[in-house]
Amino acid sequence: MIDTQLAALLSSGSFIIIGLYAAIFIDNIIKKIIGLSFIEEGANMFLITLAYRPDGIVPIFLPGMTPEWFASKSAYPLPHALVLTSIVIGASTLAIMLAIAMVLYNKHGSLSASVILGDKK
Amino acid sequence: MNDLIPLMVIVPIIVAILLNLFSKQNTTVKILSFLVAIVLPIIPILSNYGLHYFGGHAPLIDNGNLLNSLPSYISDGALSTFHIGITYSFESLQRILLFFLFVVGFLCILTTLGERKRIPGSYMFLMFMGLAAVTAMLLSDDIFHMYIFFEIAIVAQVGIVLASTDDLKYEVAMKYLLLGSVGGPILLIGIGFLLGLVGSVNITDIVYAVKNGLINTSSPVFLFSFGLIFFGWLYSVGLPPFHTIKSSIYSKAVPSGSALLQALSVVIFISLGITIFRIYSSLPLLEVFLIFFSLSGMILSLTMAIMENDFKRMIGFLAVGELGYIGLGFGIGTKLSLTAALFQGLNEIIITAILFIGFGVILYLTKISDITKLGGLIENNPKIAIIVLLGGFAMAGVPPLNGFQSKLMLIQSALNDNLPELAIIMILISIITFMTFMKAFHSIYLKPKPKNLIVEDVRVPRSSIFAMAVLIVICIVLGIMPTLVTNGFSGFVGGLI
Repeated sequence: MIDTQLAALLSSGSFIIIGLYAAIFIDNIIKKIIGLSFIEEGANMFLITLAYRPDGIVPIFLPGMTPEWFASKSAYPLPHALVLTSIVIGASTLAIMLAIAMVLYNKHGSLSASVILGDKK
Repeated sequence: MNDLIPLMVIVPIIVAILLNLFSKQNTTVKILSFLVAIVLPIIPILSNYGLHYFGGHAPLIDNGNLLNSLPSYISDGALSTFHIGITYSFESLQRILLFFLFVVGFLCILTTLGERKRIPGSYMFLMFMGLAAVTAMLLSDDIFHMYIFFEIAIVAQVGIVLASTDDLKYEVAMKYLLLGSVGGPILLIGIGFLLGLVGSVNITDIVYAVKNGLINTSSPVFLFSFGLIFFGWLYSVGLPPFHTIKSSIYSKAVPSGSALLQALSVVIFISLGITIFRIYSSLPLLEVFLIFFSLSGMILSLTMAIMENDFKRMIGFLAVGELGYIGLGFGIGTKLSLTAALFQGLNEIIITAILFIGFGVILYLTKISDITKLGGLIENNPKIAIIVLLGGFAMAGVPPLNGFQSKLMLIQSALNDNLPELAIIMILISIITFMTFMKAFHSIYLKPKPKNLIVEDVRVPRSSIFAMAVLIVICIVLGIMPTLVTNGFSGFVGGLI
């Protein structure tokens, strides 16, 4: 059976590579934006993967736990907190990109990046 | 008064939110923006040097009672020195840079207030958010916190560009965001690698781990994190391959907005640059990368500036090219070069603000940015022409202005470090910068006025003239007395190396 952490790492790597492919090679601007979201989610998944601990527990200190036992079992909570913030920032950037894409579509009548962004200085 | 340290970030954020709330009440927006912008530079002057721990979460070693109750593997080891919460660090560098950043921010806001009858609160919101974001980046000792505010700064920069009336603003903003959406996550993955290695995102903790051999600095993971964070830094500062899009961003914003955008970029450059220098200074690759990309940025940007006839784009390229000097200072890596780099960064903020606001006046009067269609404007505005000329001299490094002092220090540091070829390139680039600027100045002010050029019969806003006058006085004062700031920078650099 594949190790969970390794599988998650490979998945995050796949997300990033698929996203990069979409961002670079696909001409449709909406698909580019979706690709960029993939890159961002891949980065978030990578951070989450860092927090994983085999047979670990949710990092909440409950009555009856000793600090030593908790420290040896708990998943690392910091990356979870970081990813939460990162998701919010990513969502804001995504919203702005989609809003601009709508304006550009209304202006050019096309979603082709080569038409919209072509040789604009 | 260490409690004032977070106020430098909190005040502009709160004001930004209020401005957005009162967006349609023009008078409220104007008064609130003016009052807060004039108060902001006072905060760094009043604050004491020191650290601010958010939530009061100091390292365990500072809390004797708690430390004694912890297991020995924490209380006796490096873990007890690690930072638990987000930390803001306020030293001489932060005081000087933030004071001048807020002064430039105030002057940009003042110019905007003077040039427009109606100011949307949302535009002022973006200006204050941009200021808050880069202030947080400069103060923060937490690399993830820096990343978050880096993203906020990018969104604010895009918003400032979108507020202009340029036909291509949406296209340029989209390009910048598309690239940013690659640069941001790449920076985040680099931070993730560091987190995986050290277990902390606090920069002081990471530096501690690197310097004390707690992590293997020759491991592929560490090198990979360097590559990723360096790439993110290149994007954020506009060094190659991002120099074209960065200058496009400058050229599409309204001139006072461009001045602020450049100030934000310089502070991001310095914040992330210092972080990279602190963490990766043990890597020989760092010096090579910094010098290579900085030189490439200077040469490519200058080449494009020479060929440009649009003065907004020309100044944009010159501004991006000048950033290369700061990178060279970091690359040389001596105390003198780092001090010079920080001084150059400060000068860059002031000088480009003069040029953007000065050339903005031309745009205000003629609505034309093509220098081939302009001419003879010295008759209309001789005072502004002289200030712009002095600003150009400062950028090119003509004595006794501030640009001369910082560039001289950089050249001296290159010579001291047995890098005469770098010193020669810096001199040559200064000469070409001077020629490029003079080409634009001659076309706009000195050559005969074209017959079809229409100059609107409106008075130049006093706020623009006042802003330029204040900035040029700062250039002259820092040129004559550079030690006013270099002593502070030198003190900071002493603790860095």
